[in-house]
Amino acid sequence: MKAIGFKLNTTASLFIFLACLIVLFSFTSEHFLSYYNITSLLTNISYSGIAAIVLTLIIISRGLDISIGGVIGLTTVVIATLYSQNDPLPTWLILLIGLGVGAIVGMINGWCITALDMDPIITTLGAMAITRGLAYVISDSQSILMFEDTTDYISNGAIFFIPIPIIIFLITALVFSILLHKSKFGRAVYAIGANEISAEFSGISIKSKKMILYILSGIAASLSGIILIGQTSVGMPQHGLGTELEVITAVLLGGTALSGGKGTIYGTVAGVLILGVLFNGLTISGVRYVHLQIFQGILLLVAVATYEIKTRNEVAR
Amino acid sequence: MKAWLKSLVYSDDIVGALTIFLIILVVFFSLMTPHFFSMNNFYSIIGNIPAMAILCLGLTYVVLVGDLDLSLGSILGITAILAVFFFKVMGFPLWLNLLSCVFIGGLFGALNGVIVTKIGINSIITTLGTMALIRGLTYWIAMDVDAMQVGRITDPAFLNFGRYYFPEDSRLIPITLVYICILYVASYIFLNHTSFGRKIYAVGSNEATARLAGINVKRVKLVCYILAGMLSAFGGLVLVAQLGLGEAYTGQNMILEVVTAVVLGGVLLTGGKGRLTGVIIAVLILGVIRNGMVHLEQVTDISFYWRDVAKGVILLLAIGLYSVRKSFNAKRLRTRQ
Repeated sequence: MKAIGFKLNTTASLFIFLACLIVLFSFTSEHFLSYYNITSLLTNISYSGIAAIVLTLIIISRGLDISIGGVIGLTTVVIATLYSQNDPLPTWLILLIGLGVGAIVGMINGWCITALDMDPIITTLGAMAITRGLAYVISDSQSILMFEDTTDYISNGAIFFIPIPIIIFLITALVFSILLHKSKFGRAVYAIGANEISAEFSGISIKSKKMILYILSGIAASLSGIILIGQTSVGMPQHGLGTELEVITAVLLGGTALSGGKGTIYGTVAGVLILGVLFNGLTISGVRYVHLQIFQGILLLVAVATYEIKTRNEVAR
Repeated sequence: MKAWLKSLVYSDDIVGALTIFLIILVVFFSLMTPHFFSMNNFYSIIGNIPAMAILCLGLTYVVLVGDLDLSLGSILGITAILAVFFFKVMGFPLWLNLLSCVFIGGLFGALNGVIVTKIGINSIITTLGTMALIRGLTYWIAMDVDAMQVGRITDPAFLNFGRYYFPEDSRLIPITLVYICILYVASYIFLNHTSFGRKIYAVGSNEATARLAGINVKRVKLVCYILAGMLSAFGGLVLVAQLGLGEAYTGQNMILEVVTAVVLGGVLLTGGKGRLTGVIIAVLILGVIRNGMVHLEQVTDISFYWRDVAKGVILLLAIGLYSVRKSFNAKRLRTRQ
């Protein structure tokens, strides 16, 4: 009971913080609350938000996936290259192959982490180098243009004035919050993160769960890549550079603990929204990009420090 | 033959295996490409590794206490810009420039160390944050530097800091090689023959035991972070002197290669174990691959960008091999009992 109270508290305070930001920026810029700005803000965050939601599960299980940015880059390059062939495959197949790229990378990550018992950070760091490198090799360091109706519709279309990326983001959030908070699989993820050995003794097959998580993370990154390629109409190896930092910041901001076993999807959604509103609001108020980067670093540190100190106080009590 | 192979794979000392790997690489590139095996090319390989080698040394200190510092590439970057800024805008003399850059590098290292030890945030997240933070600061300063059109350094005294040769006329030993040798030998003595160096290993292998043994764990860690920051700054200075140029994105993607080299060199990420000989050979291996791939692209159609893929694969192989070795040793221990 107490735990639920704390959870609500954290997420609630995040949403209060978010509301304060929105009020603040609606004063500093008259364009902030316009329909155009709000949809573009939400569209922009939905691309990293999808990856953030799946990463939440991984961090709860005490893992980490840094290869997200590399997978995004590789996916856009693979899709654009396949499409720019003389006799291209049908679009649905190309998009499926794109998702397959993420699934394969996730599978390799999962295999290294579970079967070989390798450190997740270093494994995915290696995967990041490999995916980014392959993206450069395949594209020969060029940008590949891709004007295609389906990807354009996925990224720029709208149903009832709601842009489709936002719908994809919301559906992902919904599906994963049910998966994490209401299903047996979700309980297992928390158990693995809280104490892997006791989870194993209570009969949870840790390896298969972890494998599924990393594959899902790869697919989510590829989905982000597909949205990105529709938004920019170009596949290039630099796509998604630094996305991992953004995504990790959002997840940790949302109250998920790096030490595992703690975190919620709502928190991550709040974290993604706060980051998006903050950067959109600061940009629209005329703050330069370099200062945003400094801000992002500070925000990550402050968020994690706050939770760290809070946990320590609770333990002390 | 088989026992020999087994001892290479499973023994704890991987310096021998690394040396053999390096020799194989050199032979491979020499046979495949016409210009790889030449004195000039070896000089160019040596000329390309100083910043890497110095950064790896810095990271080794942090990894030995069981942490990871991802911000070192950013510290190198901000030093590159600051060196230009101090030199061109503030007009510092060389010695003051070097001193203040290394001092500032130490400050950033101390920032990392204080956050990790005092607040207790995981080192990877801390340095991921400071990585973005310092890179942002670098771009900020660089905007001013760019506006004044002063990115390049032409002063011979400063350039000689990275380009000098001993003896001067026969161009035999580059000064950067001297730096590497001095820093590695000094670090070797510091780590293995001083009590503070042994404390670093003690903290890395078991923090709780080290604390019970009366070691001030936080101070040891803090010193390692500061040393890493200072070494990165020094690496940045050498790089600027070599290139005659400081840019905001200097060292942007360097940290991945640095982590790869340190891990490949046999330094345990969990801390407490690792030798500098392994690290320097790993640096050479990556340097040879980077150089060799360029030669290979000229002869065959293999894209130069495969080197990034190769880097990632080598990192995974190094860690994978370590994991396999660990479980093999554990099994052997069990059967013995």
